[in-house]
Amino acid sequence: MAATESDGRKHHIGIKQGEVGRYVLLPGDPDRVEIIASRFDNPKFVMRRREYTTWTGELDGVPVACTSTGIGCPSTAIAVEELADVGVDTFIRVGTSGSMQHHIKPGSVGVISGAIRDEGTSRHYLPMEFPAVADLDITLALREAAKESGFPWYVGIAQSKDSFYGQHNPERMPIAEDLQRRWKAWMAGGAICSEMEAATLYIVAATLRVRAGGAMLILGNPDQRPMTEAEIADSNIDRVIDTSIVGLRKLIAADRAAGRIK
Amino acid sequence: MANFEPNGTVHHLGLKKGDVGRYVLLPGDPGRVELIARRFDNPRFVAQKREYTTWVGELDGVPVACTSTGIGCPSTAIAAEELHAIGADTFIRVGTSGGMQPGMQTGDLAVISGAIRDEGTSSHYLPMEFPAVADLDVVLAMRDAARERNVRHRVGVAQSKDSFYGEVEPERMPISGDLERRWKAWIGGGAISSEMESATLFIVAATLRARAGGIMVCIGSPSMSHEESQASMKDFSIDPVIDTAVHGLRLLIARDRAAGA
Repeated sequence: MAATESDGRKHHIGIKQGEVGRYVLLPGDPDRVEIIASRFDNPKFVMRRREYTTWTGELDGVPVACTSTGIGCPSTAIAVEELADVGVDTFIRVGTSGSMQHHIKPGSVGVISGAIRDEGTSRHYLPMEFPAVADLDITLALREAAKESGFPWYVGIAQSKDSFYGQHNPERMPIAEDLQRRWKAWMAGGAICSEMEAATLYIVAATLRVRAGGAMLILGNPDQRPMTEAEIADSNIDRVIDTSIVGLRKLIAADRAAGRIK
Repeated sequence: MANFEPNGTVHHLGLKKGDVGRYVLLPGDPGRVELIARRFDNPRFVAQKREYTTWVGELDGVPVACTSTGIGCPSTAIAAEELHAIGADTFIRVGTSGGMQPGMQTGDLAVISGAIRDEGTSSHYLPMEFPAVADLDVVLAMRDAARERNVRHRVGVAQSKDSFYGEVEPERMPISGDLERRWKAWIGGGAISSEMESATLFIVAATLRARAGGIMVCIGSPSMSHEESQASMKDFSIDPVIDTAVHGLRLLIARDRAAGA
């Protein structure tokens, strides 16, 4: 049970029971919340505390929300715990990531079916042997949405790291060799993109028996070469926001068809 | 590349290129291979070496095979490597397992979406942080097959362990405290099925860019006593999980065909 203030608001996110429904989109960046929520019907600002900004609205008549997690797994775990405590049971991460395969070009959409636990938070929940796996129905809904988008798309594993600059400038870290060796292993395992929140989202969701998944815009290149102007022009965040909204609507429709929405 | 003998067969399985197609069902028990292959059209015995028995046949006109892995991840990794070296790219584990969530009944099917790497083999491939995840289309085909056949089932994570008796009799192991504490954590994480091969199968498949998944029948549950678990075996049959796996494989073949794969 998450910490609650005397006014019923959860300690860090400032949300209370009844303010959000079951479905939440989770970007990292608080400034991206309003952009995402503008795709909802009746978008309304609800709360901003620390890195947690929340807007709500409806999709096909069903309450939905968007809450930023901030960067990294520690703040993400708190967001998920406190949102679950006010009734959320479906979490969809949406954001940007770095390409981990030479054939995956900037501007592609990655649907995250599992995550490498290259971070410190999820081990406070489960031993490292436990896999960080996305919910099947969310992954299917996002894959359908990605297919319809017409943009290149991939389903696969994300690396969830704690150090952004350890990925981008490994050579200047004292543990450069470890970072580079492990990066090569993740690529050889077929990881499609690198980001900073999915593994903990999936592990915390597993322990709470809630559903989690994610869709990421893939940027950059696995060798950290800067993007060309053409690649930058081809990497609009709208792609993955649209994919996540279309996917969420598909999930809501599937839940309704299965009698999971009253 | 797997080791080949001068006669063109892979070192441990005794199979050569052309013996099997893309699709392979993987039971643990060599004695179960023929039983499974009898569901294929034109079932034929191909080879038997060590714990690896292989039969082949067709489903909807497409070559399919069934190869036993033996018990455990070390022999399973060899089977996956050598089958892949002769052309297989789709691996579906089928077998028995222990139910891990309260409320599960003997006979429930577990469609395995990911696996706990509680074993020693997969660490020879990828660091422990890398998740053992099943292929999405294999998982979907198995879930649809279980739904269409109206069999009680769940989709979820399996625990892949190296020690059978460490799971069923942890109290007599010198590390009993660790075993019991970790078992509780896996249940806390929502694991549904305890078995001995999936984690390595999924990790090896990831490195080979092959597809892997699994469907297991579950025996017992943490809410059953040992006696209740034994009694629940009275009407147990392996047939539903085999029939569902074969049906799921047909769905996957049909979808691959529709996708032009």
